[in-house]
Amino acid sequence: MGQAPSGGLNRPGGDRKHDDANKKEKKYEPAAPPSRVGRKQRKQKGPEAAARLPTVTPLSKCKLRLLKLDRIKDYLLMEEEFVANQERLKPQEEKNEEDRSKVDDLRGSPMSVGNLEELIDENHAIVSSSVGPEYYVGILSFVDKDQLEPGCAILMHNKVLSVVGLLQDEVDPMVSVMKVEKAPLESYADIGGLDAQIQEIKEAVELPLTHPELYEDIGIKPPKGVILYGEPGTGKTLLAKAVANSTSATFLRVVGSELIQKYLGDGPKLVRELFRVADDLSPSIVFIDEIDAVGTKRYDAHSGGEREIQRTMLELLNQLDGFDSRGDVKVILATNRMESLDPALLRPGRIDRKIEFPLPDIKTRRRIFQIHTSRMTLADDVNLEEFVMTKDEFSGADIKAICTEAGLLALRERRMKVTHADFKKAKEKVMFKKKEGVPEGLYM
Amino acid sequence: MAPDPNASGSGTTPSKEHKKKKDDKKEEDLSDEDLALKQQLELYVERVQDPDPGLQKAALESMRQEIRTSTSSMTSVPKPLKFLRPHYGTLKAYYETMKGSDLKKYLADILSVLALTMSAEGERESLKYRLLGSEGDIGSWGHEYVRNLAGEIAQEYAKRQDHCEHYDCEKIEQKENIQQTSDIQSSRELGIQEQTEEAPIDDLMELVQQIVAFHMKHNAEPEAVDLLMEVEDLDLLIEHVDKTNFKRTCLYLTSSARYLPGPDDMLVLDIAYMIYLKFEEYPNALQIALYLDNLQYVKQVFTSCDNLPRKKQFCYILARHGIIFDLDDDMVADDDDREALQDIINNTKLSEGYLTLARDIEVMEPKSPEDIYKAHLLDGRASAGASVDSARQNLAATFVNAFVNAGFGQDKLMTVPSDNTSTGSSANWLFKNKEHGKTSAAASLSMILLWDVDAGLAQIDKYFHLSDSHVIAGALLGVGIVNCGITNDCDPALALLGDYVDKEDPSIRIGAIMGLGIAYAGAQTDLVRSKLTRVLNDAKAPLDVIAFTAISLGLVYVGSCNEEVAQAIIFALMDRSESELADPLTRLLPLGLGLLYLGKQESVEATAEVSKTFNEKIKKYCDMTLLSCAYAGTGNVLKVQNLLGHCSQHLDKGETHQGPAVLGIAMVAMAEELGLEMAIRSLEHLLQYGEQNIRRAVPLALGLLCISNPKVNVMDTLSRLSHDTDSEVAMAAVISLGLIGAGTNNARIAGMLRNLSSYYYKDASLLFCVRIAQGLVHLGKGLLTLNPYHSERFLLSPTALAGIVTMLHACLDMKAIILGKYHYVLYFLVLAMQPRMLMTVDENLKPLSVPVRVGQAVDVVGQAGRPKTITGFQTHSTPVLLAAGDRAELATEKYIPLSPILEGFVILKENPDYREEN
Repeated sequence: MGQAPSGGLNRPGGDRKHDDANKKEKKYEPAAPPSRVGRKQRKQKGPEAAARLPTVTPLSKCKLRLLKLDRIKDYLLMEEEFVANQERLKPQEEKNEEDRSKVDDLRGSPMSVGNLEELIDENHAIVSSSVGPEYYVGILSFVDKDQLEPGCAILMHNKVLSVVGLLQDEVDPMVSVMKVEKAPLESYADIGGLDAQIQEIKEAVELPLTHPELYEDIGIKPPKGVILYGEPGTGKTLLAKAVANSTSATFLRVVGSELIQKYLGDGPKLVRELFRVADDLSPSIVFIDEIDAVGTKRYDAHSGGEREIQRTMLELLNQLDGFDSRGDVKVILATNRMESLDPALLRPGRIDRKIEFPLPDIKTRRRIFQIHTSRMTLADDVNLEEFVMTKDEFSGADIKAICTEAGLLALRERRMKVTHADFKKAKEKVMFKKKEGVPEGLYM
Repeated sequence: MAPDPNASGSGTTPSKEHKKKKDDKKEEDLSDEDLALKQQLELYVERVQDPDPGLQKAALESMRQEIRTSTSSMTSVPKPLKFLRPHYGTLKAYYETMKGSDLKKYLADILSVLALTMSAEGERESLKYRLLGSEGDIGSWGHEYVRNLAGEIAQEYAKRQDHCEHYDCEKIEQKENIQQTSDIQSSRELGIQEQTEEAPIDDLMELVQQIVAFHMKHNAEPEAVDLLMEVEDLDLLIEHVDKTNFKRTCLYLTSSARYLPGPDDMLVLDIAYMIYLKFEEYPNALQIALYLDNLQYVKQVFTSCDNLPRKKQFCYILARHGIIFDLDDDMVADDDDREALQDIINNTKLSEGYLTLARDIEVMEPKSPEDIYKAHLLDGRASAGASVDSARQNLAATFVNAFVNAGFGQDKLMTVPSDNTSTGSSANWLFKNKEHGKTSAAASLSMILLWDVDAGLAQIDKYFHLSDSHVIAGALLGVGIVNCGITNDCDPALALLGDYVDKEDPSIRIGAIMGLGIAYAGAQTDLVRSKLTRVLNDAKAPLDVIAFTAISLGLVYVGSCNEEVAQAIIFALMDRSESELADPLTRLLPLGLGLLYLGKQESVEATAEVSKTFNEKIKKYCDMTLLSCAYAGTGNVLKVQNLLGHCSQHLDKGETHQGPAVLGIAMVAMAEELGLEMAIRSLEHLLQYGEQNIRRAVPLALGLLCISNPKVNVMDTLSRLSHDTDSEVAMAAVISLGLIGAGTNNARIAGMLRNLSSYYYKDASLLFCVRIAQGLVHLGKGLLTLNPYHSERFLLSPTALAGIVTMLHACLDMKAIILGKYHYVLYFLVLAMQPRMLMTVDENLKPLSVPVRVGQAVDVVGQAGRPKTITGFQTHSTPVLLAAGDRAELATEKYIPLSPILEGFVILKENPDYREEN
């Protein structure tokens, strides 16, 4: 051993030997340092875990559940009463205020943001600021050392660069952007047809969050996720928007391509963060559009980039049905290339329901036309039935395009009404584009 | 009184028109089939109003068909109902004009269904038309309808009850009112309304009968029970349960009982008891009887069952609960059988079973305190302290040794054979302790021989021949400990201890008195009472003797509400002088009084009144103690509120009543899981805001809440508090760490305590606490539990709780009692010690090894079907250990257990239908 142990280890022992002389001081020894530093410990602890209320079983609506919830409410009321009393008798605010200002003094102002590179011992660390080199600095005593970990963002004193705080916001900003704050305007009423699909997605995604007791009554586990697939323009994203519009659950949306990141390991990390946030904010719905960007079948990849994409998918697989159970998190995936997806992604247990979006049939087409033309001023001669009954394959998006195009044509001629001729022309135009330059009816 | 139809009619009209407008707009959106259906229904509505009865009938019939056959997704309204919505008003109006006939009833039926979606909140039209309609099969309209109807009945019932109470005198006036308002109604309806006035609930009850029958048939027992609870007629349940659903029903009832207020909970349990009895599920019935503390019911269980092995099982349940119960001729006719059964109740075989378990798990090897401290795992300096042979260290070692080797009959300090004198015989170790330390040391021998009365008494005997009064006191206490929970016909404890109670030497007296208290806890023996009350009346007796006498009396008469004992303690309290009341030991007097009323709720009130006249110093302390004891294990929220209120005051120095108030919160809230978790939250607040005297009690309260159940969050809180700057808080936290880990061998707590032992290596008192906690964690080498709750947390053993509470109250003033010369109060924990095992025996009570699955228990109340009751299980073969929250089930079909709850001793019977595979 000899010289090997650093000063940090030897010192407490030395201090105590000095203490032997006067026993009184021993009480004020600092508490034993936490044995672990890092993130694992933090997940269960913290104010969230302490504030969480006990779960109440059974889930079905019955008197027992009511009584149990009442009991919890009673206790919460008592807590409230107690805390209110205490605040009245002995306001904590002043004391807190004082402490806070003292801490603020110590922190100094302005502070700078840095990065924790390495923890040396209890009170020292190596930090780097965004510009300059790395420094060996002290950590002030009021910083919660449990939460420090290499790589986290910290606040530093502006002169001596000692660690005076840490930035709590551990959620990747990439993820917080995904949260849908403002509900989209599209509702279920804006969807023409697709009745069966709406019902299926409601059963799989909304009902488990709002009425879990229904599933418990029957004795099944609600599905975890659904995949929406079908031709382009058949309303997959629209339906997801409608779900977001109608639900009060947190709605996180992400596009498959967003999950592909520049640096190795960033993609899977983003997926993890995404699901962690979803779990924190549960009940929540995660919508991943264009899942084929990351979810294609695995094969021997030769480039590092492809391998990274595959690893991102593997993380996704794990999050969907991995070791940790996800509580109230439902997943909606959307793609128009179902056949190219990895079978592991689609197995029951990960994605339990596959909802197909077919091209609209005649009835649906009529509905879609009605929806899109309902706010247009149509001339009397317009006969939508003609377009409805046509044999061409329209998707919902095509119909919308036709209506818009017809409107534009009318606008071009400064007419106030859209005529049948406009629609006809618009239809040809749209179909022409769709069939890639082959005019309609050329080979008939 | 039925709701006024006029008011409702006018109320819904505007909204209906509004709807109609909307519908018009939507008209074009409908698909073809929908449109057809809509028109069809409109046609029916018109036809119904047709004068021709034939047409009417056909229309009603087909309308009914449409409604019944329609299906929909779970959340939306079925289509026919949706399309009929606009016509609800018209149909209703037409109904009023109709002549009374079968058709009218038909229409009422349909209106009743329509009201499901149409009726405004609180109108209860669905119910109204149901009562008017033909009383057909209720289930034919679907679950949703029945559910809605049940809800409306509950409302209606509540309203009618209200009426009966408030308006009885105004009845006549009301009848006039009815006639005024119902001018346009048909005479028949008026008749019904008058009828309801006279026989307020008969018509409802008829419906209730139907609904309950329907629910019970369709796996919806909770809903049936809920409805009956609402209409306060649970007796009906007994007719409706059958073999397939009574278990679920009773489970629901028993778990509701914990949360129901006032007398309702007793009623619910009564019903559950009767159902269990009806289906001959006697062990469950017995448990409810024990929960109700109703010995009459216990007897009934015994008399109604005539199967001997089953009765043996009952005896095991009684023995675990720790009550003294004498069988008589009615219960068991045969004398030999009765003796065998009484033996089981007397726990005479407990030691044997425990040792079998120990042998099976291979932990018979005795452990020395050093094996527990595991000082070699700590770096360097900690061991330096251990080498010094201080009295306090030795005392700690004595306790650790006693706790760890409890019940095994052998250890490395006390029972080493005497020929081995060179290394340290039992006498040697005994004299390594000083003065009062010797008392604990001598008593520790009996802890090691726990439950083994014959061997125990033989070994303790040698101490009686020594002249040292402390050793004799320890031996006397030891006699009590060996007999703890065991009843013996020849009453050795009383015979041995009786004479010593009146000796001169106070330490000998205390030893004898404590011994009596522990040996006869819950027995309510008159002889003990007369002996002990004499001590209480003895004016010359020192305070400590009086205090321990009060506790012992409290233990012997725990939960009995015995008047005479209460009087004796009250007089003793009143006789104390001002200076004596300031003594820390005085706190045991109110506690002794409180234990008399443990869990007895209101019965305490008279005594609580008397306690208000006490001296200022002890008055509040007494009040808190009585309140917390009386409502211990009830989960009564109001009492928790009351106690919290006392804790929210900030007191001057010298008042001590907040300590018991904090403990009281834990005692009251520990009844059920929810209250337990919420109480932990509340205690967190107390820590934040409370003064020092509250903070000192909080760790102990946490220890009581999670006793032998190491929850991670509580463990973290206590670990934090164990480094508190206030040494008393730290001590309480350390002891509580021991309590929550008691008998679990929890590695995490053991590690924490090890670190604490090196952290506090110079502070002798804290180190003593750490050592005690270490001993507790390894209690009985991990085979014992201190949890007073057993049988899947349903039953609370009063003596066990009393033992723990006594010890905790003593911990409220750690320095004066546990660290002073009364450390032997720690032995009160022996009352709560029970092996945490599942031991299966055959019908001749010989151990039988079978595979069992042990896993985390799942709450299956109110779930349909036969859900899994345990999760994450492992398969072992018996005997096995059960941790807190664990449940076991048999993994073989070969045997049938005679008790549905696999804990403690369970008798297995061969399954006659079992066939070996292959």
